[in-house]
Amino acid sequence: MLNKSLIEDIINTALSTGGDFAEIFVEDRYNTSLLLIGGKIENAMTGRDYGVGIRIFKGFNSIYVYTNNSNRDNLLKIAKEGAMAIKGNKKDLVLDFTDYRVSNNHLIKIMPSTVDKSRKVDLMKKAYHAAKNYDDIISQVTVSYGDYEQNVLIANSEGLYVEDKRVRTRAGISSVASKDGEMQTGFFGPGAHMGFEFYDIIDIEKYARESSRIAKTMVYAEQCPSGKIPVIIDNGFGGVIFHEACGHGLEASSVAKGLSVFSGKIGEKVASDLVTAIDDGTIPNAWGSQNIDDEGTKTRKNVLIENGILKGYMVDKLNGMKMNAEPTGSSRRQSYKFAPTSRMTNTYIANGKSTKEEIISNTEYGLYAKYMGGGSVNTTTGDFNFAVMEGYIVRNGKIEKPVRGATLIGNGLDVLKKIDMVGNNVDHGQGMCGASSGSIPTNVGQPIIRVESMTVGGRKGDE
Amino acid sequence: MEKKKLAEILFEKGKRLGFEDMEVFIKSTTNFDLKIFKKEIDKYSISNQEGLSFRGIYNGKMGYSYTEKVDETSIDILVEEAINNAKVIDSDDEEIIYEGSEEYKEVCTYNKDLENISKEEKIQFALKLEEEALNLDDRVETVNHCSFGETSEYSLIMNTKGLELENKSNMALAYVSVKVKDGDDIKTAGKHIISNDFSKFDAKKLAKEAVNEAISLLSAESIKSGEYQTILRNDVSASILEAFTSIFSAESVQKGLSLLKDKLNEKVSSSLITIIDDPFMEEGISSTGFDGEGVATKYKKLIDKGVLKTFLHSLKTAKKDGVESTGNGFKGYKSSVVISPTNMYIEKGKSSFEDMLKGVKEGILIIDVQGLHSGLNTVSGDFSLSAQGYLIENGEITRPINQITIAGNYFEVLNDVDEVSNDLDFILPSGGYIGSPSLKIKRLSVAGK
Repeated sequence: MLNKSLIEDIINTALSTGGDFAEIFVEDRYNTSLLLIGGKIENAMTGRDYGVGIRIFKGFNSIYVYTNNSNRDNLLKIAKEGAMAIKGNKKDLVLDFTDYRVSNNHLIKIMPSTVDKSRKVDLMKKAYHAAKNYDDIISQVTVSYGDYEQNVLIANSEGLYVEDKRVRTRAGISSVASKDGEMQTGFFGPGAHMGFEFYDIIDIEKYARESSRIAKTMVYAEQCPSGKIPVIIDNGFGGVIFHEACGHGLEASSVAKGLSVFSGKIGEKVASDLVTAIDDGTIPNAWGSQNIDDEGTKTRKNVLIENGILKGYMVDKLNGMKMNAEPTGSSRRQSYKFAPTSRMTNTYIANGKSTKEEIISNTEYGLYAKYMGGGSVNTTTGDFNFAVMEGYIVRNGKIEKPVRGATLIGNGLDVLKKIDMVGNNVDHGQGMCGASSGSIPTNVGQPIIRVESMTVGGRKGDE
Repeated sequence: MEKKKLAEILFEKGKRLGFEDMEVFIKSTTNFDLKIFKKEIDKYSISNQEGLSFRGIYNGKMGYSYTEKVDETSIDILVEEAINNAKVIDSDDEEIIYEGSEEYKEVCTYNKDLENISKEEKIQFALKLEEEALNLDDRVETVNHCSFGETSEYSLIMNTKGLELENKSNMALAYVSVKVKDGDDIKTAGKHIISNDFSKFDAKKLAKEAVNEAISLLSAESIKSGEYQTILRNDVSASILEAFTSIFSAESVQKGLSLLKDKLNEKVSSSLITIIDDPFMEEGISSTGFDGEGVATKYKKLIDKGVLKTFLHSLKTAKKDGVESTGNGFKGYKSSVVISPTNMYIEKGKSSFEDMLKGVKEGILIIDVQGLHSGLNTVSGDFSLSAQGYLIENGEITRPINQITIAGNYFEVLNDVDEVSNDLDFILPSGGYIGSPSLKIKRLSVAGK
């Protein structure tokens, strides 16, 4: 992507005013996106993202410059501009780049770029018909399709020189059910760090029908009652509760500044004994996986919380220096337009012992959240919120009726301690996570869990 | 000049491969961003970037492609991919390359002075912003976010129908957020200023707004669940309106994804509500004389005293409805045309905020909502959002409230507005610059204790 001697010159220029460390990130990425509404392809877009980012550290401060123009003069010019933001003495560095080839844990069988667009369109139409034909109440179906191949080169003043290829594929099905001037929606969005072979292992029509089933269920649902009640959150995408309530607070970007409710709490009990939480960027072909992070560190499996005790954070290089901690392969960025920082990869709560039936039959009254929407958190206070896409009232140990419009709110530290049952059916769901280094693919996961009490926001008074 | 030459080569190649009309859209951006943490420059970023979007009519369908490598090496792939993309389009909606409007209004969106102010002066401003915030109150533990950024943009539309439009704009943004602490009680609050006139950047004033708000939230508690008379503060009302802007998009309406379908010239809200989209607004961050398709923009009322007057249109949706485009078809270089507002706001009313407050015997004032991207459904109009604010008793704010949600349906909320304040303000722009005055709502569901 860029030759080694040019990279050496860029790094030397970047350090010419006394910086401690310099890094270069080159990205060449091919994107395809298709949109189908009401059975017809409305939009098709293909494009190439290409750019170079240069990062310089001086002490704990960092400078970031980036450009799309990769000719030698321009790259040296912007490296110099970055260096000028530092006031110090010149250094001379002889770099001996070692080719740190990493083994590839995520084999790709069918590169998306080799697949004819008409096959992608056929797939979308299959999903459309399955969703639309599910029931007469389904008034509209939108299917989105996206894939990309991201090639990166990362090199730094410590002699790192590594390349990686990330291939991701995702489809999204959104169904609308209409009844008496009201509309409700359902959504499903499976994705993986895989090529087009992903669609050989999943049944897209099944997901499409599930999207329509959610929309139909919700259009017949009553308004959710509000108040503080027990909440059962189902497996898979339900893991978004851990992602929002605690995951963000365990990222070094807020921990290092003392701005997280989890700062300085390693070794302390922060959750119920039943909670073990893990961030694992190595799961083969999972949506949030990659071989190396965006600083070139190998991804790994990090135990964050073990039986309720805080064990570790997700750490990037810069914040690791501030915290005196090793990077954990967690440094990520949306693209060359963002300096990387610690982020989640595939985060999940590990299996417990209860079964789904036990958890529901042990709940006298509460909310069962079968599918979650997204959420957000203020990491400084720990206050989080997230939306329930499909919910039910549980009464006397039985699922009673569907309810709509519920939002769950709470505080991370508080909710972790209130998890009083953990199921044995861990599964993962796919999402896009937005934070300071952009929007990145992450998996969330968990078995079914129960939180003893949470504030549920709906439109109907409490029961 | 160089870019126009590149466009000409693209058009030539496209013509040879079977394109009818073609268009190029180029956007170049330079950015400067810095973040201060504990008196040091925590982050400092500079960039220059550009992207080129190509589109053209091939066998009657519009094909798109783009690249960030804006040079001759991208020409072949741009043309080939646009052909491949045109081939899969089977929508019956006709898209065209536009020859241009008769007249374009001159809109000034560039302030040369901003670039003449040194980086050093901007760094000093950000340092002062943090210092002011820290010194205002002992309970300010950290300034958790303190940043200054500026962007300047150049865009060019050129097509084979002879259209050639250029625009230049710039703006600066400062944001400060503070963490205040009293015992175990931690609260945060943030404020921003956005303008391309640097003389408006007052560090002291901005810091004070953020600190005062954070302090006022200390010792907040939840309230009993129920229905409350509610004031949505101007910025909160604007945030909710922003999340619902797609209901006004003719595209959403035509695709059956907006409940405003078939409601033109009908009453859809309280008669106190007038919603305007004004591309010529002075100091409007989204002010522009033309949209992404080269159509001249225009001032319009979407809702006039409660009556729905028009949707926002692109050329494609306008043709389908047999009307004229409203000049709201915008595109980034990575996207096809998307309908979005320019400077869109709820017109201000007559009451002062204080008078509005005085009229509330028992109710709540909402000053912040979270979860707008997830706890809100633009198709159904339903929302349920995490919120904080204050309790109002006998016309006065008595205590802060948090850990509550407010829930309702946006269409019902617009109907339930019974007072509109005169404190129109705008929030941080994203796909439009959205504003609102504070609104008093007859009742809203609150979940708390």
